[in-house]
Order: sequence, then C-alpha cells, then structure tokens
Amino acid sequence: MTDKRPAVYIEGIAVDIGWADATRSLTEMIFSTTRRAIDEGKKSLDTIDSVVLAAHDMVDGRSLSSMVTGPAAGSYLRDETRYSDDGAAAFAAAVTRIEAKESTRSIVAAWGRASEHDVEAVARATFDPFFASPFGIDELQVAAMRAQAWMRMGGDVAARAEAGQRRIAAARANPRALKVGGRHPVASYPLNEADMPRWADIAVSLTISAEPSAVRVAGIGQSSEPYWIGDRKLGRLAGLEQAAQRALSEAGFGPEQLDVVEIDGLTLFDEAIGMEAVGIAQRGGGMRSMATDPRSNPSGGAAAGYCAPAMGLARIVEAVMQLQGQAGTIQVPRARRALATGSCVVAAQTHTAIVLEAT
Amino acid sequence: MSQVAIVGVGQTPYRRSHPEKSSRELIWWAAKEALNDAGLGIDAIDVIIAGVAPDALAGEVSVERSGMMGIGKPFIRVNTGGVTGSSAVFAGASYIKAGRAKAVLVFALERMGQASSSQQVFNTIFDPVYEKDFPLTTITMAALRASMLMRLYGYAPRHWAEIAARNAQAARKNPLAHLHNDITPEDVLKSPLLAWPIHRYEACPMSEGACALVLVDKSLVGNRKPAWIQGAASTSDSYAMGDRIRRKGATLVDLLSLSMSAKRAYAEAGVTKPVKEIRVAELYSAFSSAEAMAYPALGFCESADGPRFVEAQATDKSLPVFNPSGGPQGANPVSATAMVRIAEAALQVRQMAGARQVDGVERAVATGQGGATQFSTVCVVGNKPNT
Repeated sequence: MTDKRPAVYIEGIAVDIGWADATRSLTEMIFSTTRRAIDEGKKSLDTIDSVVLAAHDMVDGRSLSSMVTGPAAGSYLRDETRYSDDGAAAFAAAVTRIEAKESTRSIVAAWGRASEHDVEAVARATFDPFFASPFGIDELQVAAMRAQAWMRMGGDVAARAEAGQRRIAAARANPRALKVGGRHPVASYPLNEADMPRWADIAVSLTISAEPSAVRVAGIGQSSEPYWIGDRKLGRLAGLEQAAQRALSEAGFGPEQLDVVEIDGLTLFDEAIGMEAVGIAQRGGGMRSMATDPRSNPSGGAAAGYCAPAMGLARIVEAVMQLQGQAGTIQVPRARRALATGSCVVAAQTHTAIVLEAT
Repeated sequence: MSQVAIVGVGQTPYRRSHPEKSSRELIWWAAKEALNDAGLGIDAIDVIIAGVAPDALAGEVSVERSGMMGIGKPFIRVNTGGVTGSSAVFAGASYIKAGRAKAVLVFALERMGQASSSQQVFNTIFDPVYEKDFPLTTITMAALRASMLMRLYGYAPRHWAEIAARNAQAARKNPLAHLHNDITPEDVLKSPLLAWPIHRYEACPMSEGACALVLVDKSLVGNRKPAWIQGAASTSDSYAMGDRIRRKGATLVDLLSLSMSAKRAYAEAGVTKPVKEIRVAELYSAFSSAEAMAYPALGFCESADGPRFVEAQATDKSLPVFNPSGGPQGANPVSATAMVRIAEAALQVRQMAGARQVDGVERAVATGQGGATQFSTVCVVGNKPNT
C-alpha cells in the first residue's frame, strides 16, 4: 500500500444460504441479507454512499437485473455499479473506490439463486457458440478435465477420499452452510458425487469503509487466463497463482503465514489445485492439504452451497468470520491472517485474491 | 489522489450489424485503435475493464471474455445497462486514482444485431409479473415521458423534430455514425409514429460496434494529448417508474438521478454555470424528447423554459453544442453508447473530432442513462487537469 492510499476495513457481514424458499423473493433475500450486514456494521444507512454489486442477468433470469435487485441492496439515490463478474472482483473494485476517496462507506453484495435457473444451461452458454457450445460442454466438464490434467501432471490422489470426507464434514459443521435441499449436479469422469458442488440459493452482503475495524484488507490481486480452454495449462490455475502472489506481495507476507485459506473452487479438485496455486500446498499436494491442513477451506467450500457469481464474496465473508473469531463450530483457533479467492467465467478465466488481516 | 486523463480513443464504425466480424474482432479493433492513439502497447496496460450489458442481446453469455487480451492482467466486466460504458470508464479511473494502475484499457461492446428482436429483450428488463405483459418497451417508456413533458412544460412535436433533425445533420459529419440521413424537421414529423408522440426519426437506431479508451495517470501523460476527467458521478433511482411519476420535486421527467450526478460531477470539476462553462454536451438521449428532458437536469435551463431553450439553439451560438457526433440518434450501440459519449467529448476536448469538431472546446460533458432512466452518469472532461 502506498502512503496516500487509505486502508480499507470490513464492518458488517451477512450471508444467507438456502434452497427454493417459496416464501421469499430474490429481492427479499437480498434485502434481508444487506439489512443484516448494515446492522452488524453498526453504521446507519445514511453513512453509506455507494453500492457495488456482483450479479448476472442469466442467473437472475431477467435482463439488466440490477434494476430491480439494486434497490434491495440499498442503491436508491446512491452511487451504484454492478459487475457481471464474481463477488470477489466486485469487492476488489469497491475497495478501489474507497482507496480513491470516491466513496466513504460502501455496500458490496452478490447473489445467485440456483433453484430458479438452469445452472448447467447458463454455464454452457458462456462457451464459444461455434466451437465449444455444440459439444454441450459446461464448467463442470472443464473441472473434470482439469482434474485429469492435474493427475497427469503428478497430482497426488492418495488423500482424495479423506479430503472429500473432510470437506463434507466441514460443510455439515458450518452453521451457515446449506442444510436442507440443494442439488448435486451430475459428475463427469474422474469426478464423483463427493467432489461436486451443491447448488444453492445464496445472498452475501458486507459493508466496507476506511474507518478502522476488526478486519482490514491487506492485499488485493487479480489476474486472468486465456479464453480458450486449450490455451490454458488446465492442471494449474496460473491466473489464481498470479493473483495470490500479487495480493500476498501487497500484504507483505507469505502463504506460510496464512491461518485460513478460503478457495472458490467448483469441485474438490479445483479447491485442491487452488491450495497449490495460492502457495499453501506444494505442487501436486493440494489434495493432501484439503485432507489434513486445517487452514484449507474450513467452511467446506463448494460443498457448503454454491451459486455463481456470489462465491468469491461468500469466501471473503467466511474468512472475515474466522478473523473476527465468529466462525462458530468451524472456528480456526487464533486466526489472524486469511486469504479468500473468487473466480469467474469462462471456467475460471478470471481470478481475484483478497488477503485479510485481523487488526 | 491521482488525476486521470483519457489519452487514447478507439471506435469501430457503428452499424446495424457487423456480420463479417466476431465479437473478439470488434473488441480488438477498438482496443487497438485506442492503444495506437495513446502510443502504448498492451503490455503497458495494468487493468482491463470490459462493458457489456444484457447478454441476451448478443445471444452469448459473457461475450466479452472472448475478447480477452493482455493475459494475466486484471480483467473485470461491468454491466449497468445503458450506463455500462460510462460505469466501465469510472471503474477504470478508480483503479488509477487508488494508485493500483497507471494505465487502464476500458472497452464496451454491443452486438444487438444478433438479437432477433431487441425490443423483446428490453421487455425483459421489466417486472415479469406486473409489467412485462404490458406493451412496455424502451420506446413506449420514452413516449410516456414525452407526453408528460408536453403536458407539464408545453413541448410540441415540433420541438422533438427540431432536435432530431439537428442530430441527424450532425451525424452526417461523423463517419462512424450508423445513420447518415439528410432529414429536416418536416421529414421527422412525416415519419411513421412508433408510439405517440414519438416518430421513427426521433428514435435511435439499433447499432452494433465497440468503443475503447485508454486512461492514464497524470505521470504517464507526457506529451500525449489528454482529455482530463475533471468530474465523474453516478446515481441510481428507484426501479418502479410509477414511484417517480408523482414524486414531489423529482418526477419521472425531472431525472433526479441525472441532476444528482451532475451536481457532484460539476462540483468536482469546478463548474458553476454549465451553460457558460461547457461548450459541448454529448448526451445519452435515445430519443429527441429524452435530450430535452436532460437539459434542466444538467443545469442548462429551467424545466419550464425547456421549449424556448430548444428554439434558442438555432440562433444563439453561445449556447453549448449538443451531440455534435449525432448522439445516440446517429448510433446507439447500447452497451457502448455511454462510453461513446465520453469518447466523443474527449475527442472534442483534444481537438481531434475531425469534421464534427466544434471550435474552442475546453470542456465538455458526457452523460449516460440506463434502466428506464434509473441509472445516470455524468462525466466532465476538459483540456486541463483540476487544480
């Protein structure tokens, strides 16, 4: 951080994970989550001057969906912008606005309701309409190819079963995770059901400002990978590696000093490869990390509930709770430093890494 | 905080469709022009901000990803409807002002020529239960406002026609414009009614194309020709238009979100008398009545004086020049239109607007409007940085 750039702190946080709740509309879900985040931050709505959203029209089921969802997240007569990108990317953009002194306090919110859209169909539509989409490929199939590539590159799968069990146990223990309902998508070889995400309805909100609070943003890193899947080294997440290095460099500490790492990965394999990319596991050792390292996705990751584009922000909220000592049954003792990530289409083409530190 | 300058502008021609070009090619076309104008290569760019609005118009979700360039750089997509282009510029400026980037490439792409019916897509921006089944589209929505302006302030069809004909003539000087129609106010009034009181020639076309800008920190300006971003602001209003029809002091046609943005942007830029201090206004007004609606919100006249302000434009050369590019009535690539406004304002300030150049432009304003005028942005650019 430069001297001129103010530090940014996280104030209130809230996450809501459920499934097909017919008693609440999407806007009601967004409103109640945002309201909780504002209340928890203990600053009045009047002190908030900007709103930064991550939401996708195809997920929300209508064009320019932020017209109706934005006001539920507090945008009325405020400076609002919406990213059709992952929640962590929107978080990074919101932080830059505070750093640029364009805003003093901001709401950052992201959501997705998997029970109300065809997740696989939307994922298929992100691929090239001539050369990829006709194969029926979606992001989960790319995850399966990534798992195979990783194994071919020497990835150690000996701990796979143990990692899968720990991941599901963590999700069961997580008080914020999806408990009832949800949907497991069909697994493509070599993935199996235990590796898969659990589609859920998710809304996440938080408030940030330059006023000191219990958790500060210590570093931000963002990166991107080529559009064509064939142009990527699938067994690695090179973009995430670069994003994490940038964030840690800015924070001024190494991955070994992290107490918690919350990776946004679609499957167990993606999460394991993510642990390698951010540097808390050796190359090929990500699955072992997922099985044994208490720092690796204590929330249960995608098994706790998944719906793009909310996941990067959900990972940030889980990391903040750890640093606040408020993570409940999944609390990592004495957590002081955390890294949370978010990735976005097409099949993890863009990446954001956020380093957080308890003050 | 750092000051931000626009030093590169790139635009494709705007056409009904570009069947011979992929989305990737359109993005790269505009980006390459902007980088060439700036004298920078992609390696000098720190962050890329993409702007694409409804995916349904392109028929491809997250189509901007196909235009990925500068692999390894931060790449983020903005989607704020009609203000997508300006929101992308503002996001890029934030990265520079925060000290996280020295140079940012922003681009916006519109591929609505791929949609079988853009109005059907736009109908899906409205509430699926209470509004969608009405014939509510961007055209009928504008007609509702135009009739309100007539009732409240005495506008007549002739006023809309004068504005439309002026924009059409301006577009003829802009080789990038989609339409180059030689039309008079009489032609406008004789053109078919789309939705009373709006005639076909008062409406924007459906255009495809891409626009890109290179934004840099003051330290990188050097001997490049800059347009400084002197003020920028964005404001969101309520979703339901019904909530705004009778809102005291800020009705549907008062454009509260635009006036709030203008106040903030002007304050940042040090503009106190916009009609005197702004030489060119590039307005996101898809219909000529919408342009008239923006004048008072931007401080150019009082609402009640709107009709006379339109009439005075023909004779009073001291007034700002509106839409010398032809504005959205010359080309409306929706996702990109608000960025095009900033691009055209920047070209004017940089004295690089070619046949459409207005003499003596030191400061220009560009607006963005989207989501049934729910979202409004104002950007003031000038040939000097703020002091």
